[in-house]
Amino acid sequence: MEPVAYAYIAAGIAVLGAALGAGVGIGRLAASALEGMARQPEAGGDIRNTMIVAAAFIEGVALFGEIIAIILIFATG
Amino acid sequence: MKSNAQLGLSVRRTVLALLPLLLCFSSSYAYTEDPGDPDAIGHSADGVYLDFQPLGKIELPRIFLVRSADGGYRVDAFLSTHGALASGRYTLKSDFAPEAALLSAAQVDTVVKEHTHFKYPVVAAASGEIIFIDFSMTRQMVFVLLCGVILLVIGLSLAARYRKGIGADTAPQGAWQNMMEALIIFIRDEVAKPTIGEKYRKYLPYLLSVFIFILLGNLIGLLPWGVTATSGIAVTGALALITFSITQLSGSRDYWMHIFNPPGVPGFVKPIIVPVEILGLFTKPITLAVRLFANMLSGHLVIVSLLGLIFIFTAKIGTVAGWGSILVAVPMTIFIYMLKILVSIIQAYIFTMLSSLYFGLAVEEHGHGAHDHEHAVAQLPLP
Repeated sequence: MEPVAYAYIAAGIAVLGAALGAGVGIGRLAASALEGMARQPEAGGDIRNTMIVAAAFIEGVALFGEIIAIILIFATG
Repeated sequence: MKSNAQLGLSVRRTVLALLPLLLCFSSSYAYTEDPGDPDAIGHSADGVYLDFQPLGKIELPRIFLVRSADGGYRVDAFLSTHGALASGRYTLKSDFAPEAALLSAAQVDTVVKEHTHFKYPVVAAASGEIIFIDFSMTRQMVFVLLCGVILLVIGLSLAARYRKGIGADTAPQGAWQNMMEALIIFIRDEVAKPTIGEKYRKYLPYLLSVFIFILLGNLIGLLPWGVTATSGIAVTGALALITFSITQLSGSRDYWMHIFNPPGVPGFVKPIIVPVEILGLFTKPITLAVRLFANMLSGHLVIVSLLGLIFIFTAKIGTVAGWGSILVAVPMTIFIYMLKILVSIIQAYIFTMLSSLYFGLAVEEHGHGAHDHEHAVAQLPLP
């Protein structure tokens, strides 16, 4: 296989890992937030705000993976 | 940093040929200008021209610090890449070739004739001279300056109103002032006060500036022909560097003590803890920069990829499939676009909040000895 092919495979794996981790993370976050909101509807606003901020953090980590994948493709290909 | 430079250099074909489609111009235009294969990076990356595609392009000034053959330095400035090429002292490098080979004179002539010379961002000195530093104006820089000017206008005009007493003695007047006051009070009461504490007043101007600046940078990038200033690692890196500097300069005795001699930690753990703490000093601004950069860049890439599906289907399957994929690609693009508006606001908020949090950590004085430490950590919001 050509070296570039490895880079493309690595880019795919990078996105896979990042998306998998972020998916699990956001899922757990949303589950906990929903549970909290169901138990205490009056705290719903606060929970929602905190949840969005935390979701943005998790998303940020996923995007690190995406950036690495892009770099792998465009720096080698 | 190097990889980003390479991203920047790989401006091959501008994808703004796709924008007319979004703007409901005739779709045939996109085909004649750039048949398929839209480059996802081209539009998102930095470049030395402003692209107003159906109307034309504006080249930006090129400024080089040149080291001549005898070792002297001089500054060479041109109004455009075309000017630099016309002077005969510079030639283009091809970023298509693996080692970025110099283009021959005939090739440069062809590229200039086709008006695509500014898509080759790499300019090389032709005669024995080396471009030491390339200070060329880039489009992200143009938009950084634009955001700065808008920020100045907003800040100074509002300050003038409050100084006159409108809003200070009376209620704020007009939709604009009410809107901005809501924003300012949000940053003051929800961001600065809870994280920094009593000394928040000293840091509030910076937090407000950085919040409005990033918000402007993110949102202007969503306009047609707009460039997201914050989708460049250099821009976000500079912002993070300012936050980093302010944090270190305002560090209290407790803050440094915490890093170099953490209280309440057994002696044998300290050789492990102290390097980690020192490393933590630098990872904070780096993640701050990369988070904003990655969020802003990825939105563009996703939009371009979704719109690119139309061209891929057209090229691979046929025109009918291409038209059909519009039904899927365009609604999804609009959805991502809406998400990007949300992300723009959230990322501006997160950058401001984390900066504020770092300032809070730096100025904190425990006063009651080492035992207060655990209490202080328990109060911290999020990461």
